[in-house]
Amino acid sequence: MEAPVGRAEGWGGDPLVRARRGAGRAFVFLARDRALGIAVTALALLVCLGLLGPLFWPNDPLGIDVGSSLLPPSSAHPMGTDSVGRDVFARFNEGARISLTVGSVVVIVGALFGGVIGIVAGATGGWLDGLLMRTMDAILAFPPLILAMAVTVGLGSGLRTAGLGIMLTTIPYYARLLRSEVLRIRSLPFIEAAHALGARRMRIMARHIVPHVVSTLLIQAAAVFGYAILTLAALGFVGLGARVPTPEWGTMITDGLQFFLTGQWWIGVFPGLGVLIAVTAASVIADRARDILDPRGRYAHV
Amino acid sequence: MIRAAAGKLSGALMAIFGASVFAFIFMRVFPGNPARLIVGPLASNEAIVQQEKTMGLDKPLWVQYWRYIKGIFTGDWGFAYSAGETVKHEIVARLPASAELGLYAFLFAFVLAVILALAATYRHRPWVDGTIRGVSFLGLGTPPFWFGLIVLLLFSQVWGIFPGPDGRLGPNTTPPPTYTHFYTIDAVAAGQWGTAWDALRHLMLPAITLGLAPFAFLVRLLRANLLDVSRENFIVVVRSKGLGRWPAFSHHALPNAFLPTLTASGLLLAQLISGSVLVEKVFNWPGIGALIVDSILRQDFAVVQTFVLLSAVAYVAVNFAVDVLYGVIDPRVRIPVAR
Repeated sequence: MEAPVGRAEGWGGDPLVRARRGAGRAFVFLARDRALGIAVTALALLVCLGLLGPLFWPNDPLGIDVGSSLLPPSSAHPMGTDSVGRDVFARFNEGARISLTVGSVVVIVGALFGGVIGIVAGATGGWLDGLLMRTMDAILAFPPLILAMAVTVGLGSGLRTAGLGIMLTTIPYYARLLRSEVLRIRSLPFIEAAHALGARRMRIMARHIVPHVVSTLLIQAAAVFGYAILTLAALGFVGLGARVPTPEWGTMITDGLQFFLTGQWWIGVFPGLGVLIAVTAASVIADRARDILDPRGRYAHV
Repeated sequence: MIRAAAGKLSGALMAIFGASVFAFIFMRVFPGNPARLIVGPLASNEAIVQQEKTMGLDKPLWVQYWRYIKGIFTGDWGFAYSAGETVKHEIVARLPASAELGLYAFLFAFVLAVILALAATYRHRPWVDGTIRGVSFLGLGTPPFWFGLIVLLLFSQVWGIFPGPDGRLGPNTTPPPTYTHFYTIDAVAAGQWGTAWDALRHLMLPAITLGLAPFAFLVRLLRANLLDVSRENFIVVVRSKGLGRWPAFSHHALPNAFLPTLTASGLLLAQLISGSVLVEKVFNWPGIGALIVDSILRQDFAVVQTFVLLSAVAYVAVNFAVDVLYGVIDPRVRIPVAR
């Protein structure tokens, strides 16, 4: 499992120049950047399946029908049925909703906590900075998945505790990044100028420093999204995520485990494919977001 | 130099201390009651109180923390009641299997990553570069346990090239005499070529599965480093002195591109540790990762607890070693220290 670090390198092309022409050209932008276009389309498709799936595919993801168990994919069941006859496609859609929701919540809450910790540490300095950063170091001392596992074991397995565990492992990445960013901006001449003009510390923080770290926070958040989905599936796979009937993608793969080698591959293959598509699309988007938004990146001079 | 190393060491020790506090909080303070888990749901209250006494759970928290830390360092890691053995026995017995798998996974990831990173940057061929970048994105996005199932399905079930998930050796092969506990090496040392071949065949699929994420990560890193280095002035100089493209790459660009990769070894170790938890179960590999998953399912948290802290210690230790080593290998890092 990779730690949620933003990507450092750039892709070809010169996307910023096009992006600056306005949001109205977003479609032209997506069409020209093929990888980004595919990634956005794939993620949008998963969002649609998760949100609107129950409307156009009304099969019950929990509805047991032993008579039609272990059916291969067909027009009646596009992804087949599992060992107790539940429709895998309906479960896949529900899994998309769960994964994307948990991923979003983890990203938003983690970015808030990590962002506040980083900004406070960078702005105040002194013992508070030291205490906060040593706490972050302690979290970083664990391999991320292992800490998420420990937290989930400690708090009792379930979707919420798994999300909490994943969120906790992402906080230091935001905090350290934002702290260094705040320190960098604090030393720039325009902050000195604002100070000379008589602006209070709080005003300088709120009006001059925080707006400048938002893009950094967004880049990191985008990078964390895919990590959160992958880790949730991993926790589900080892039995720490969603409770049994809940169609979370990781637990669905565990369900399919014993049927893989007896020929019923569809139970486990499709949820894994869902994770693969969601995470890859998210990391491609995060990569591009970095190229476009990173203030220190190669487009800083534009 | 020494002062810098001492500073880094104290930082590393601080991190491990903080990590142990975290592990202690999440394992001892929050969960319901480990004593009840051990004596079972039907036990009387007296039995639970008795069990709490023997485990020291009635003592104040700081006493419990002290016992916990002392236990970690003296090798007293508790009792894995689901296996009926001490945690230490379980972990020590299973370590070689995980280490051998990790070693082969790393070799696979490293060799393939170097080859593909070279292919991506050696000449300007956008489609090769694009394909390799796409593969690395997919590699990082693939859930390793799922990938393991797919390769098992294809290579073992459908095509029958590799053996199925039956651990380190086939059912008819006896383990080689133990020197290193690595079956491939031991079998070769004892001249049992058939056993070595069997062990290697059983290693292949799990190693590729475990190595997938490190491979994808290394390709990205090496490719970016190679691109950076090949734009450096000294590469232009050696090329203009008449050195061919290949010697310039292999002798000048590649060694320099490896340096930043060294800093990522901690991350690679973390990937291998987490990966083993996810992959070993799929292949019935008798290593620590499979032990952890089984312990979670049986709510035997003494094992998980030890594993969590040990992996944190290993992770911090590797990062610390890399920090110090980096100064030794790359003189540029030493300069600010000398001042």
